[in-house]
Amino acid sequence: MKKSLQLTCLLLYASTGLYAATPKDHFNRAVSFHAAYQDVIKGTVKDETGATLPGVTITIKGAQGGTQSNTSGQYSIAAKTGDVLVFSFIGYQSKEVTVGTQSTLDITLTPDSKNLETVVVTALGVKRSEKSLTYNTQQVSGEELSKVKSPNLMNSLNGKVAGLTISPSASGVGGSAKVILRGSRSVSGNNQPLYVIDGVPISNNGNANGQQNSIFGGGQDGGDGISNLNPDDVASITVLEGASAAALYGSQAQNGVILITTKQGKSGKAEIGFSSGVTIDNIAYEPKFQNSYGPASATTRDSWGSGISNTTDNLKDFFKTGVNTSNAINLSGGSEMAQTYFSYSNTYASGIQPGNKLNRNNLNLRETAKFFNNKLTVDGSVNYINQKINNSPSLGLYLNPLLGLYLFPRGVDITPYKDQYLLAGNEGAARQNWLGGPADINQNPWWLTNLNPNTSTRNRYLLSGSIKYDVAPWLNIQVRGNMDRTTDDYENRRYAGIATNFNSTATGYLSQSNQTYVQKYADAIANFTIPMTGSDFKVNGLIGGSINDQKTSGLSLAGNLSATDFFSPANTIVAQPGTFPGNTLTNVVPVIPNHSQLQAVFGNANISYKDWAFLTVTGRNDWSSNLSYTPNDSYFYPSVGLSFIVSQMFKLPEAITYAKIRGTYAEVGNTVPPYLTFIQNTLKADGALLFNTNKAFRELMPERTKSFEIGTDLRFLSNRINFSFTYYKTNTRNQYIPVIAPPSSLVSTGYLNAGNVQNKGFQFILGADVLKGQGLNWNTSINGSLNRNKIIDIASADKINSIDLTGAGNTSYISRLQVGGSYGDIYGYTLQRDAQNRIILGGDGSTASPYVPLKSTDFNYIGNPNPKFQLGWNNSFNYKDFSLSFLVDGKFGGQVLSLTEALMDEAGVSEATGIARNQGGVKIDGVDTKGNEVSATINPQSYYSFVGGRGGVSGEYIYSATVVRLREAALGYTLPLTGKTFKSIKFSVTGRNLFYFYKKAPFDPELTMSTGNGLSGVDVFNQPATRSLGFNLNVSF
Amino acid sequence: MSAVLLASLMALNFGCTKNFEDFNTNPNSLSPSQSDALLKSAIGPIEQEIFHNYQIAQNLSADAFSGYMMAPNPFGGINNMNYSLNNGWNSAGFNDQYNYVMAPISKIGQSMVKTKSPEAWGISLLVQVMAMSRVTDKFGPIPYTTAGSSLVSTPYESQKAVYDAFFRHIDTAANNLQAYMTANPGKASFFGVGDLVYAGDPAKWLKLANSLRLRLAMRIVKADPSTAKLQGEKALSAPGGLLTTVADNAAVAQSGTRDNDLWVVTVAYDGDNALGAALQTYLVGYNDPRLPVYAKPATDPLFTGQYIGIRSGANTSFNGLGKAGYKTYSSLNSTDAAKSPIGQKAPQILMTAAEVWFLKAEAALRGWTGAGNAQTNYETGITTSLQQWNVTAGNYLADATSKQTAYADPKNAANNAAAVSTITIKWDPAATNEQNLERIITQKWLAIFPDGQEAWSEYRRTGYPKLFTVASNNSGGTINTQTQIRRLPYPSTEYGNGNKDEVHKAVALLGGPDNGGTRLWWDVDKANF
Repeated sequence: MKKSLQLTCLLLYASTGLYAATPKDHFNRAVSFHAAYQDVIKGTVKDETGATLPGVTITIKGAQGGTQSNTSGQYSIAAKTGDVLVFSFIGYQSKEVTVGTQSTLDITLTPDSKNLETVVVTALGVKRSEKSLTYNTQQVSGEELSKVKSPNLMNSLNGKVAGLTISPSASGVGGSAKVILRGSRSVSGNNQPLYVIDGVPISNNGNANGQQNSIFGGGQDGGDGISNLNPDDVASITVLEGASAAALYGSQAQNGVILITTKQGKSGKAEIGFSSGVTIDNIAYEPKFQNSYGPASATTRDSWGSGISNTTDNLKDFFKTGVNTSNAINLSGGSEMAQTYFSYSNTYASGIQPGNKLNRNNLNLRETAKFFNNKLTVDGSVNYINQKINNSPSLGLYLNPLLGLYLFPRGVDITPYKDQYLLAGNEGAARQNWLGGPADINQNPWWLTNLNPNTSTRNRYLLSGSIKYDVAPWLNIQVRGNMDRTTDDYENRRYAGIATNFNSTATGYLSQSNQTYVQKYADAIANFTIPMTGSDFKVNGLIGGSINDQKTSGLSLAGNLSATDFFSPANTIVAQPGTFPGNTLTNVVPVIPNHSQLQAVFGNANISYKDWAFLTVTGRNDWSSNLSYTPNDSYFYPSVGLSFIVSQMFKLPEAITYAKIRGTYAEVGNTVPPYLTFIQNTLKADGALLFNTNKAFRELMPERTKSFEIGTDLRFLSNRINFSFTYYKTNTRNQYIPVIAPPSSLVSTGYLNAGNVQNKGFQFILGADVLKGQGLNWNTSINGSLNRNKIIDIASADKINSIDLTGAGNTSYISRLQVGGSYGDIYGYTLQRDAQNRIILGGDGSTASPYVPLKSTDFNYIGNPNPKFQLGWNNSFNYKDFSLSFLVDGKFGGQVLSLTEALMDEAGVSEATGIARNQGGVKIDGVDTKGNEVSATINPQSYYSFVGGRGGVSGEYIYSATVVRLREAALGYTLPLTGKTFKSIKFSVTGRNLFYFYKKAPFDPELTMSTGNGLSGVDVFNQPATRSLGFNLNVSF
Repeated sequence: MSAVLLASLMALNFGCTKNFEDFNTNPNSLSPSQSDALLKSAIGPIEQEIFHNYQIAQNLSADAFSGYMMAPNPFGGINNMNYSLNNGWNSAGFNDQYNYVMAPISKIGQSMVKTKSPEAWGISLLVQVMAMSRVTDKFGPIPYTTAGSSLVSTPYESQKAVYDAFFRHIDTAANNLQAYMTANPGKASFFGVGDLVYAGDPAKWLKLANSLRLRLAMRIVKADPSTAKLQGEKALSAPGGLLTTVADNAAVAQSGTRDNDLWVVTVAYDGDNALGAALQTYLVGYNDPRLPVYAKPATDPLFTGQYIGIRSGANTSFNGLGKAGYKTYSSLNSTDAAKSPIGQKAPQILMTAAEVWFLKAEAALRGWTGAGNAQTNYETGITTSLQQWNVTAGNYLADATSKQTAYADPKNAANNAAAVSTITIKWDPAATNEQNLERIITQKWLAIFPDGQEAWSEYRRTGYPKLFTVASNNSGGTINTQTQIRRLPYPSTEYGNGNKDEVHKAVALLGGPDNGGTRLWWDVDKANF
């Protein structure tokens, strides 16, 4: 009875403890944890090399509560003489010290054993010793992540993890990021990793807008799920790169897993942390313009006219300084029985384009408690995220203010159009004040930012709970569940005056959507350790089952307005009156629905011999609702791995502290998208029957990734140098591929399982504590990776050898997967050349028929944007209370396409067109159509209107994607405090994307127009990358 | 304990998959019975799809090759109009009719319509023949009866086999419609008002079936004279008759927010399309009353108010002119939303009574039974066309002197061309068959505007009306400037997808290289008589 009463009190203890100077229980009695006559004991905790150790737990033996050492290794705790202080820290031997008369106790901890026992969080949240792992994982601490903050958590990982390629979306604040581990492998499916928080998967969904799917774009990046998180709540991130590491998560994890461990309350004294930061963003580069030639006439929007003497900097009038402020507070505390963590953070950011804003609030409450002599552990958390993004920039050719801005005639003052973008007295498109009138891809930039506003609002709840019960010393059972519920509201208002193709009635246009995405996950796992006393063998493992149910629902509405500029759904005109008289129709349509359920049972066994040989076997069977109506909805896949700690098997030279070799093979199955196995007709927007002419070529089945990796982990000179190397090879077969069937098949999209996409490569990390000890500490690490992707097969059995991820759609860009090529290949038009690669010129050189270059009749391979090799070099220096860190990273190889340059050339605003005119023409030494060598000087306007533009010779706009940059730098100073009020105060000055050591492309090749599979490596008036400078303050007390 | 857990997990997994089919059924789609209930509504959108992707599927090829129109937009300078054939554009003319017409009609064929409403199946077949004849007349051999027989590689058929199948499908359609009219006098077809051509009127569909048979028969008159005569005479005597008056004209009405495709290309795309020099010089030379209906005067300050079109294949980027420099030339008239040939809401013409009268005029020249008198048919053709556009004939039929004029481009003299035709309007009983054929086809060409696809096919078959050659030829020698373009090459996707073996066999059936210079089966290089 008494016990159960205590249980109910625990939560209250935890929370009241945060505020009350004297903790009380709920009977309002003073609770005395400590003797009345206690003193404050202070000191510093260091490791055997003399480096300070932050985060060491200090408790008083036999008492509740405790504390932790701060970032400088300093601690203070109230204790009385005779108390035994226990210092414990993962990977180190605990140390007990009896308090004497002294008030300062400096402690040195020694590593647990000569083999550092690092604990790693693995699949399903299971903690395992690093040495027993048969595959590669990488960890990044929360501290490392929040050193130089970015509004999207994932951008802070860029350059820090080998084998991870991050491409941020060029879509301003609140944009998403494309995250690829060890190369893309799925032809039509998702290539991004699974995100898991504290063992259970979360969704990474954007809003109903999703991503752009053609270079016309016109929509906004819908954001992604992971960017919603508060970076300050993250304790650490573990990256499970291979299929092997992820085998237990199944389908969703075939592209790897990003495991996020969040902070939880710590037992000991209540602690309050506060961090505040402000970052200033400016564009990092501008396209290059010519300043010698103006427009052909006062009403034309080109720069092919006569010479000018004045120069204009229109970009300066448009781009603003972006400001990003983040404030976060967290409170944690509790006893050994129950801990509470509460945090609130606010991120407020304004982008470099006018009106682009992000406002995000995160609330997080986590409770952890133990019952029944610590046999039962209960953990629950509630996360609430509220995010609002205003005026996310449109990407692509449509509705993008940067087209009007960049293509504006040189030498003409743009400010009248900034000062007055609306001609209120007019009607329709004439309301927009723009030189030459608004056109589909060229409108007044300020009109677009002010009178084409969009808002995305997200409300997201993440509820999770877990119960774990230790049945016996060798068995525990855990049941977990979470619900991730996201509601997205989106609205776009187009005021009357937008170019007519976006609002044919010229009265304004409204589009709205609201979408709810719910993911429910539950699992039950039994963890066991088979008692084998006295044996050299140890066996442990788990067996469990899980269910994951995802559902998307919602409505969207779009329509021209009846009464001008009255933005109400009730004021929209029914879009398409029906074919039939009397059909009643609506502007409201359901968002693309989804209901997928995955059920699984899985098991894992780990067998070790003498603590130097480890064998891991896993198996998982999935049942997927998306494969119902076929006999293939149940599928099994295994993995097996082996590792040896060579340094324990043999006596190695003294310099080698630790040596491990490991290898693993895994298969992961993956299901197909929903609603493909039962083909049904639909309704057209006008109410007519629309036949569904799609068809599965054969019964669909799950796809399968087979992956193999071997690697080694080495540590030298008492762990001062570490090196890790992994070689991997994955083949993804039986992929679900939607193919454009030959039209004469009378099937529009054919579904089939085929394909073989191979990724192989290696990755390494080399780290060293170059300087360690007293004074200056310098830790450096280099991570590198190389990936080679090859499309071995698409669907050769069905004679299909290529598939387009982004179709041309009347432009000169295709993202195509072609057998023999690799993922992301860009196809475009090229200049016709002869066998000796000389440019073929049409015409005969006469005035009537001047020489003209010829465009290839079909699309040709022109480049691939994926880096051939990536390198990151991370450094941190500590000197007394100062810290300095910087990260240089390079992505080498690859090519990108700039349609921005192509359109700037066509309009005559680019630097290249100015140079050509100064030189009297574009000189080409080529051959005529009969093969005779000719030297031609081509009229610059003729040449650039031919090669330039959206449908021109895109092969002439390919640039090297190699970029080497100073990605992050931070300089910090920690106030040397030992006072009671403040535990630590740290200031830092930070910078992000500070400097390009090497960049040949006219834009940042890392930025992407879409974080989906297509549209990679093409710049279509992407918002320029920014350079950020910031200031941070971290206080804990 | 763990055994219990395991057992409950097994129960969880094996017990719950029974809802999987329910989960995997798209809530926004129609059940098979809901689908059946809506079958009536399916035909209208399919009829509209005959014009799918109009700009690249027809306007930037047939409409220009027929001399009707020309794009002021240089589209990069090297393109279809100057015989550098753009694969991406031309693939639309091939793929879209399979994807958007034949594929859904095959679904109608699998539905209860085929058995329960055979007349509606007949209408569907006629829509299919109209769509697919446009494809074979662009490319030559195509998969037709074989379409849908394989998911991967579908055999092409010779153009003769395709035409034979067209005639068989017209047989089925005509028989089904006749039987329906006999059994249900005065009753509209199952499709009813969902049919955007005739609102389900079976009598009119039967007339269209017979007229279509006559059009296709005449097309093959040089390649297969006996079949042509057989099918032509069958059409001329067929029960139900032919399209005879303006009220019989077949055109697809616009519905909802859909706009006339030529209006979109010409007006909404801000001058991607304008009047062709050939049409201008005939209309102006003949003082044709249809001139102000078809075209509108130039707005260019240099020659405002005049009718000046653009010559086919003109280098519109000459001297930096580009679209801005040429879109001020004469364009097509779109003033009356419902009446102008390219009014925003104007129906899109499939076949007119005027065309049928000209077909009958030629049939009479060829001595086909039931064709009637050539002169009467010729003159009725002209007057029917003038009625169609609400203009009066005046002295037009009696004009024996007016001829096509020369063409002069005010901005680029390199495009100037002397008149290529001396044919006059007035019927001349004493003239040779060849001269009268030129007269018939020239007037037919003026009457069936803006149906560039039919006009280009008839130009290739007969050589009439005489058209200016392209101002610049960038075909790399594959297309002879004088004989002009004869077809479009197969889309490269056919060579890249599963059909690549079949398309190579198709080139053998074609009997020449797969380029724009090779003549189709019905395009026989010999005299018309």
